[in-house]
Amino acid sequence: MSAFTATAVGFRYGNTERAALSDVTLSLDAAVVTWFTGAPGAGTSTLLLLAAGLAPLHTGGSVSGSASLLGENPQSTKGRRCLAGRVAYVSADPASQLSGIAETVRREVAFAPANLGRPREQILAVAERAMARMEIAHLAERAPASLSGGEQQRAVIASMLALEPDAWLLDEPGSALDARGRETLASVMREEAKRGALVMVASEDADWLAGWADRLIIMKEGRVMGDGVPATLLADPSLGETGAGSTAVATFARALAERDARFAAATYPVTVQDALERWA
Amino acid sequence: MSALLEFDRVTFAYAGSGVSALTDLCLRVSEGEGLALLGPNGAGKTTALRLAMALLHPSAGEARVMGQPTAGRMPEDLAGDAGFLFQQPEHQLFASSVREDVAFGPRQLGRSNVDDAVERALDQLELCDVAPTHPYDLPAPRRRLVALAGVLALRPRLLLLDEPTAGLDRHSRTLVRRALAAHRAAGGAVVAVSHDGEFVLEALDRALTLEHGRVVGDGSSAEALGQPGAPPAPAWARLVARLGAPPARWRFEPAVEFVATRCRVAPDA
Amino acid sequence: MTPLHPFTPFLLVLATALLAVLLPAPWGPVVLALVVLVIALLLGAFRQVGAALLLTLPLWIFLLILHGAMRGGEGWLAAIAQGSRLTGIILASLLAYRAFQPSRFLDAAATRGWSSSAALLVLATLQAAPRLRARVTRILEAQRSRGLRVRGRALGRARALVPVTLPLILQTLGEVDARAMALDTRGVGTARRTALEVVRMRGLDWGSLLVAASAVVAALAWRVLA
Repeated sequence: MSAFTATAVGFRYGNTERAALSDVTLSLDAAVVTWFTGAPGAGTSTLLLLAAGLAPLHTGGSVSGSASLLGENPQSTKGRRCLAGRVAYVSADPASQLSGIAETVRREVAFAPANLGRPREQILAVAERAMARMEIAHLAERAPASLSGGEQQRAVIASMLALEPDAWLLDEPGSALDARGRETLASVMREEAKRGALVMVASEDADWLAGWADRLIIMKEGRVMGDGVPATLLADPSLGETGAGSTAVATFARALAERDARFAAATYPVTVQDALERWA
Repeated sequence: MSALLEFDRVTFAYAGSGVSALTDLCLRVSEGEGLALLGPNGAGKTTALRLAMALLHPSAGEARVMGQPTAGRMPEDLAGDAGFLFQQPEHQLFASSVREDVAFGPRQLGRSNVDDAVERALDQLELCDVAPTHPYDLPAPRRRLVALAGVLALRPRLLLLDEPTAGLDRHSRTLVRRALAAHRAAGGAVVAVSHDGEFVLEALDRALTLEHGRVVGDGSSAEALGQPGAPPAPAWARLVARLGAPPARWRFEPAVEFVATRCRVAPDA
Repeated sequence: MTPLHPFTPFLLVLATALLAVLLPAPWGPVVLALVVLVIALLLGAFRQVGAALLLTLPLWIFLLILHGAMRGGEGWLAAIAQGSRLTGIILASLLAYRAFQPSRFLDAAATRGWSSSAALLVLATLQAAPRLRARVTRILEAQRSRGLRVRGRALGRARALVPVTLPLILQTLGEVDARAMALDTRGVGTARRTALEVVRMRGLDWGSLLVAASAVVAALAWRVLA
């Protein structure tokens, strides 16, 4: 059974003419990292909000079609109750997700599992492990509000790790992270997928995601335009027509091909290694 | 060349934190220069930027903007000389239209040629078509450009930017880069905190890398990227470096040029 | 020093308010205010003392003019009593606010078996002020960096209101939704919350509450009997 399915899903925010999502039909498996990309406004963030059951509940708007996450309907009250604590949603703005209540990072990380009423000893142990995995153990006694943007992002992700969720919905989760933090997050999410979790990531950062995503879904104006292996889709010269960005090397290859026809090719190199093989 | 920003052994500790966010930081930024502040999360980069705008004042040492110490001065005293783009600049927008919001700063300073400055800033960031729009009706990346236009319209000599390209799409990043190049060509200076290796490489020439509030690296931005604590260089820069291009060619256009003239295409491609 | 139980400071503020009304004027309120002041100084809460004095200064001036200068004799005493009452209550509240730790409060509520939504409702109210202050600081910093002058003549300050309050209102409106969504993603209100630390009343809590309660009872008895 698929961990996430969307059947002819459409979505429209309250005050807009244009549909944020149109006729999206998808089926995603657990234990796979699925990466969504597209130009700004392509609908990737909306799809995650919808999967998390946060849209239309908190955003307003109207939904059509049906979605299912871990076998539950995230738009229904009953489904949301069943999904509580099983889904980790991480927004692009980490500061907005802090509880504003916890005095220390340790308490921030323990906040969500405590709300779910899990046993105290278990919460404390899981929180320590989550902080260690996101490399913020040394910040455990700091006030969350006093952290830098990147440290807050790590804390929010650690707080979601402490839920031990079955599904991850990440919206530009690297927006404030440094290079080390991105590597850490990528390896943590690979481990989560290996553990059997569903991992959905919306990101425009092709160079980062190309290194750890298993499947790429390209969206444009609320519709799915491409679905496949990242390396293949990123190498396709027609990717540019969707407005989605490819890796730095593929973008470079495009500029090179436009400048000099000798370099025009049926596929672009995606990584430094690919390019060296062709041009060295 | 006169210095627009100087830090002379600046030390700063947040009240009640016990540890210094910055220790003995020295730096000097002259006309036309672009300096990147690099470093891991929590290294003290934003603190350094805030000290330059007099949003904070050194616990020890001295910060000088255009030769004048910041001690005893407030950000509004510096507004004509230095412009600051905050990490979440969209939070400051308030006027009923993009044009009005961009004009807010120069009007506060009582400038005479407000309209020119505003039109130029809007034009540079391709915001003319949305000038009458309410800023909150724009998508987040464009709101960010509006905030930057508001800073550019002040025509400050020194631009202080905190993660200017975060959350921006490729085209918006190009606009920011061009605007900064024009600013520097006109004798201005830029100091930017950034994790975006491509932006650092394309828009700035020098880089200071901080760790735990201390300088651990100081050199050209091309050579700083990829060092400990600094973001990696963009993949195409690593590629042309492997193909033998000197650091001077590690910018996008020169790199394309380099490959086009020096490399051949493998017969099977 | 072990911190007080999160409920204790609030109960002490309540006792202070009762005593301020019940104790015989004018010297009862004066002694009460002095006791609170001494406690504040012993705790090293100099900022709170400063804030309380600054807040009550206009009140003192108003009372002294209204009662003292206009009525003389008895009026002076009435002004001193009224001023001391308000100073005592305000300082005690500031002290309670200083000691306030939101997540310990949640733990205490969970230990007591309160529902977490009720505790969070109380918290949200108490947290509104610092959140608002943080946001005002952020907006002020941004606008001052664009040249906004917030000091100086009254006219200038009045003009500065628009660029500060408008983003404040817009953000506060937006934040209501954002908070609800953020707390939703953090599992708030889904189950009975686990207390991360079992917070119970200790000797110091019982002791200080006993002293305060006895004082209230004594003052009440005096009122009734006298």
